[in-house]
Amino acid sequence: MRVLVTTLSIILAIIGLVLSSLPIGYIALIPIIIAFILGLLAFKLSLNDNKNTTIIKVVFAVIIISLGLAIYNALKPNEIIVNQEAIEKQKQSDKETLEELEDIEIED
Amino acid sequence: MIKFPLLIKNFMNRIFFVLILIISSIVQGQNNTIAAGEKLTFTASYNMSGLMTDLAQVTMETEEVNTSKATLMRLRCKAQTYNKWDNFFAINDTYETYVNPANLNPYLHKREINEGGYFKKMQYNFDRGLGTVKSVKTKKRKDGTFWDEKKNLIIGSKTNDIVTTIYYIRNLDIHKAAIGSSDNFTILFDNEETSMKITLLGKETISTKIGKKECYKLSISLNNNDVLSGSNSNLLWLTADANKIPVYAKFKVPVGNGELKIQSATGLKH
Repeated sequence: MRVLVTTLSIILAIIGLVLSSLPIGYIALIPIIIAFILGLLAFKLSLNDNKNTTIIKVVFAVIIISLGLAIYNALKPNEIIVNQEAIEKQKQSDKETLEELEDIEIED
Repeated sequence: MIKFPLLIKNFMNRIFFVLILIISSIVQGQNNTIAAGEKLTFTASYNMSGLMTDLAQVTMETEEVNTSKATLMRLRCKAQTYNKWDNFFAINDTYETYVNPANLNPYLHKREINEGGYFKKMQYNFDRGLGTVKSVKTKKRKDGTFWDEKKNLIIGSKTNDIVTTIYYIRNLDIHKAAIGSSDNFTILFDNEETSMKITLLGKETISTKIGKKECYKLSISLNNNDVLSGSNSNLLWLTADANKIPVYAKFKVPVGNGELKIQSATGLKH
């Protein structure tokens, strides 16, 4: 039971870490919360069995990092990056288009 | 595992198409709605795991363009992913058409797609007199070089490009249409004519970033095309005023569903 719970918490913590690095970081909250609950259970079971709890502490560290990343990504504002190269390219394209349109005569 | 790049690509590929499905013109009349200098900004969202996630900014801008012989109006639509997505799947698409400002007749249409390394460019030169379009498709090879494919297409007298179609709807006399009435339209996209049906479902008042607006609620569907799914699942709300601004759109595609919400509107004619 202890091994199973510990293994599950490790797997879910890793999944949480991977998902938290995505722009939709809030999706990571599901595995993070489950990993946290299982981690607590695994910690209690390890104490009862007098087993080493180091791995579970590592899981908690991963959970904290994942949670931080998930919150950061979820709260990061939506911004549009406009670089100078793109602006220049657009200007050049507009200039070329204007040359193509030179022969056009509007019909009423 | 969620295939984010695929989802986003499908989403962005269809985003303009969705606008078109909903927005189509019935009669090509005089332009009394669109002015040069107008700018509409939208947020495009996609449903991921049950939550609407903002993916990109969509802008629709108009500008006067002068040549030595004529004054034209450029209609430009751009879609660009927000910076937080750029490391995963950067999208920067531009669709633009140069039209007669008096009646929105298109002369030149350009479409440039940049989606996560995929590049494609389409250009249509319209000749209304002959009912033809000179089409040039430019694609990028894996080694970075480009190749062109040129075609001469014969089109129907009411066939338009996607951008022109989007703006046409705002010239429609929707207030004269009966609720439940519908019409069919034809759009030239990827060198193929696609038929679209638009239906007026009624009027609704909705809250938007630019205030509470009474709107025309329209439904769109494509004939012989699976880009859009469901019955009455693809909807567009246009303000029921002289500007007929598209303020909200909901769409359903085979890979999910999403929406467009207006963020700002400036330079309006009325």
